[in-house]
Amino acid sequence: MIPLRLDELIQGIIKGDRRSVSRAISIVENEQVSFNAKKIVKEIYQYTGRAHIVGITGPPGIGKSTMIGNLSAMLSDIGRKVSVVAIDASSPFTGGSLLGNRIRMQESLTRHGIFMRSLANRGLKGGLSRSIWDTVKILDASGSDIIIVETVGAGQADLDVVNLAETVLMVLGPGLGDEIQAIKAGIMEIGSLFVINKMDLPGAFIAQKDIEETLAMSPRGEWKPPVVGVNSLTREGYEDLIKEIDRHGKFVKKSSDLSFRKFRTELEITIDEELRSRFHQEIMGFLTDSEKIRSLMEKRTDPYSAAESLINSIA
Amino acid sequence: MEAGKNQSLFKGKPIKILLAKPGIDGHDRGILVLAKAFRDAGMEVIYVGLLPTPEEVVDTAVNEDVDAIALSLLNGAHMTVFKKVADLMKSRGVNDIAVIGGGTIPEADKPKLEKMGISGNYGPGTPISTIIEHITSRAAEMRKLKAMEE
Repeated sequence: MIPLRLDELIQGIIKGDRRSVSRAISIVENEQVSFNAKKIVKEIYQYTGRAHIVGITGPPGIGKSTMIGNLSAMLSDIGRKVSVVAIDASSPFTGGSLLGNRIRMQESLTRHGIFMRSLANRGLKGGLSRSIWDTVKILDASGSDIIIVETVGAGQADLDVVNLAETVLMVLGPGLGDEIQAIKAGIMEIGSLFVINKMDLPGAFIAQKDIEETLAMSPRGEWKPPVVGVNSLTREGYEDLIKEIDRHGKFVKKSSDLSFRKFRTELEITIDEELRSRFHQEIMGFLTDSEKIRSLMEKRTDPYSAAESLINSIA
Repeated sequence: MEAGKNQSLFKGKPIKILLAKPGIDGHDRGILVLAKAFRDAGMEVIYVGLLPTPEEVVDTAVNEDVDAIALSLLNGAHMTVFKKVADLMKSRGVNDIAVIGGGTIPEADKPKLEKMGISGNYGPGTPISTIIEHITSRAAEMRKLKAMEE
């Protein structure tokens, strides 16, 4: 049976009970900033910080989900406890979503008993969902060694994963553009590792070389991002990929800069939300006088002056 | 279905539903049409693909913490396979996920499926709005069961 009391649920998470973990994720997803959601995170926080958080990002259709299927199976084989979270886009019109990542990795998940959760981004831009920070903490506290987070298929500016993951895999492939594309800002700046998928296709070696050259032109301090070519059909190159992920994991655990930046970003988001939820009632209070609003509209008052007038008349 | 119905219950917490065709059956046109219709009705839809085992279906439903599982079979194996899913749920003590059936299901089997806790059991030609309404009301029941005690 699933625990219905919060303290039992929290104990369940720490013991690694699947159903407690799964229900806790629903609570942080559906009831953000609620008493229950906050209490879960507060209580489990001391058990977090152990797992290696790996973000996988890249354009839609490049093979991120398939790659996670292969990676999670191979990591399980060498004795790691893997958890996977994959984010897909919600429709901005209906709020609905088709969470299709699972289908590409189902076989590995079943064979190795890997916990995997699909989340919809629920309107958040940037490639993540708001609940992902808390979700990762729950999986961390439940005893995962490695947590793989798949972002929404990313464009050039969906870079938020860099604030969540310790290691970011930027997955690219042949046919995405020539060296001019590779110089573009954004995606080239956030990868800790660059993975060229579909190495069996023509143009893949050229893509790999382009990325390597671009990276060589802009050294970024101590860590030099490697470029790994893989073939997801044969799993060629995956052993190198795992080696590089581990190497970066070790490197990053030593860096206090990254932990500080991550913690600060999360604080920023949390403060924003906390204040929003506190002031939500008050903001709505300014919007109750429909007659006043209508008269402002009919007088063609601009929104800034209208907002000032409403706030001043009440406050 | 009336637009915006039940918005207060599901606002910000969309219904999460798992679509599955357990057993040996490749007729997936129906379930793909439904997947799109449910998405357009504002649900978060997970489809596990063809040929999942009943164990896979129940595992996935639990890990994803869905409100409902919608099973579809057009090969006549529903009395075996749907039952297996219902039995697994019972033996694992999962009582807060609704199981809803569909496909080519003879009238005579419907009461038997209902008895196992599998509701709906819609056949070809059912208006999609009927199915969505049914899912919405079952999901609302499940959300009540999922409410945490302080």
